[in-house]
Amino acid sequence: MRDVVVVGASIAGVTAASALRAEGYRGRLTVLSEESRPPYSRVPLSKGVLGGTQAPETTALPALPDDVELRLGSRATALHTERHLVELEDGDPVPYDGLVIATGSRARRLGAPGQGGELVVRTLEDAEAIASRVPGARTALVVGGGFLGMEVASTLNRHGLAVTVVDRDPPLRRLVGSWLADLVVARARAEGITFASAPDGVALVGDPVRGAAVAGGGELHADIVVSAVGDLPNVEWLQSSGLTVAGGLVVDASCRVAQDVVAAGDVTVVEVSPGVFRREPHWTSAVVQARAAALTLLHGAGEPYQPDHYFWTEQFGLDLKMAGHLPFTGAPRVSAGDPASGSALMAWFEGERCVGAVAMNHRMPVVRLKAMARAA
Amino acid sequence: MQISVNEAACEGHALCQLAAPDVFALDDDGLVQLVHEQLPEALEARAEAGARVCPVAALSIVR
Repeated sequence: MRDVVVVGASIAGVTAASALRAEGYRGRLTVLSEESRPPYSRVPLSKGVLGGTQAPETTALPALPDDVELRLGSRATALHTERHLVELEDGDPVPYDGLVIATGSRARRLGAPGQGGELVVRTLEDAEAIASRVPGARTALVVGGGFLGMEVASTLNRHGLAVTVVDRDPPLRRLVGSWLADLVVARARAEGITFASAPDGVALVGDPVRGAAVAGGGELHADIVVSAVGDLPNVEWLQSSGLTVAGGLVVDASCRVAQDVVAAGDVTVVEVSPGVFRREPHWTSAVVQARAAALTLLHGAGEPYQPDHYFWTEQFGLDLKMAGHLPFTGAPRVSAGDPASGSALMAWFEGERCVGAVAMNHRMPVVRLKAMARAA
Repeated sequence: MQISVNEAACEGHALCQLAAPDVFALDDDGLVQLVHEQLPEALEARAEAGARVCPVAALSIVR
């Protein structure tokens, strides 16, 4: 293999490129990015960058080595697997021997076609756009009470805005289970967040957007309206590629997609049982997959990677590190601290088997937390 | 080239160790330690790969 192209330059793409070099690949290596900024970490976007307390430049990932050609502003529009070509929006098609697909995902949007001013948090530019409006704003409406929506609500609340979170479902419950969700929501309420329920959904109102109409009654208005309603894998450019898409690009247990093609990160899905495809759109999963993808590309049939079920969030003064299969059912056993005091180490059991562990404002190495959740 | 470690930031995710076990180790507390005081040139690409995957940006590459 003499010419590897990585499509996408977020953590999955950057990790794949790094891993290829680290594992001894000496051929040509090109990373295509549709963004205009050098690769950066999305982790601080909903926190420091959104709040304007962390300079956007500080999110940059350690630069790729000089022997990797990073092509910014290069958006892939089609893939021809037989001809081994990636088509670009601007410029000549890019040939490859080996391909890493790491095109990630984009924010899902609620606005009607042509409706302007909908704010989301996915890219550095998105976060900067919100940050620039915080100083002149008094109120904010966050549509979506998932991890991202709650982090955004927390950050804006810390900056003095009166924040309302609206969702179809009780916030976080579907993601982490009711016990943990209730704990976080109680904390958010205590910090002044207002929660609104919209079981039948909302529609954004205004152009530019200035609020949301709750199906079945009422409108919520705010100076800043942020949609945090999930993300959609960027698979459209693969439409004519012949690769299998099922709610994401399907990868096998070693991140192989097809001959000479591997994939990693938010764009992927894994078949967890026949006909059931699951995404694992988190940092650690992107890293573990990207490394597996690189090894598979270099050595042919790669070794299956160990899926990493680990996620963390920071909101309302709570640093939550979670390992295991979310959501967790019922109440945990408390191993240390006291949940009511805001600091605890907790484990969820099915029978005598630990299925999940959470460290809440409890400092412990993440590897140990993961080991707890894996302990049979 | 050297790797600079912000020990206070390390949370023991161990992704650096996954990327380059010959460069990064975990101490008894599960936090990052450099295997080599002076990084051998042959391990530079691996060290860089380990630094890039840190989710809390505790590792930086010093050239």
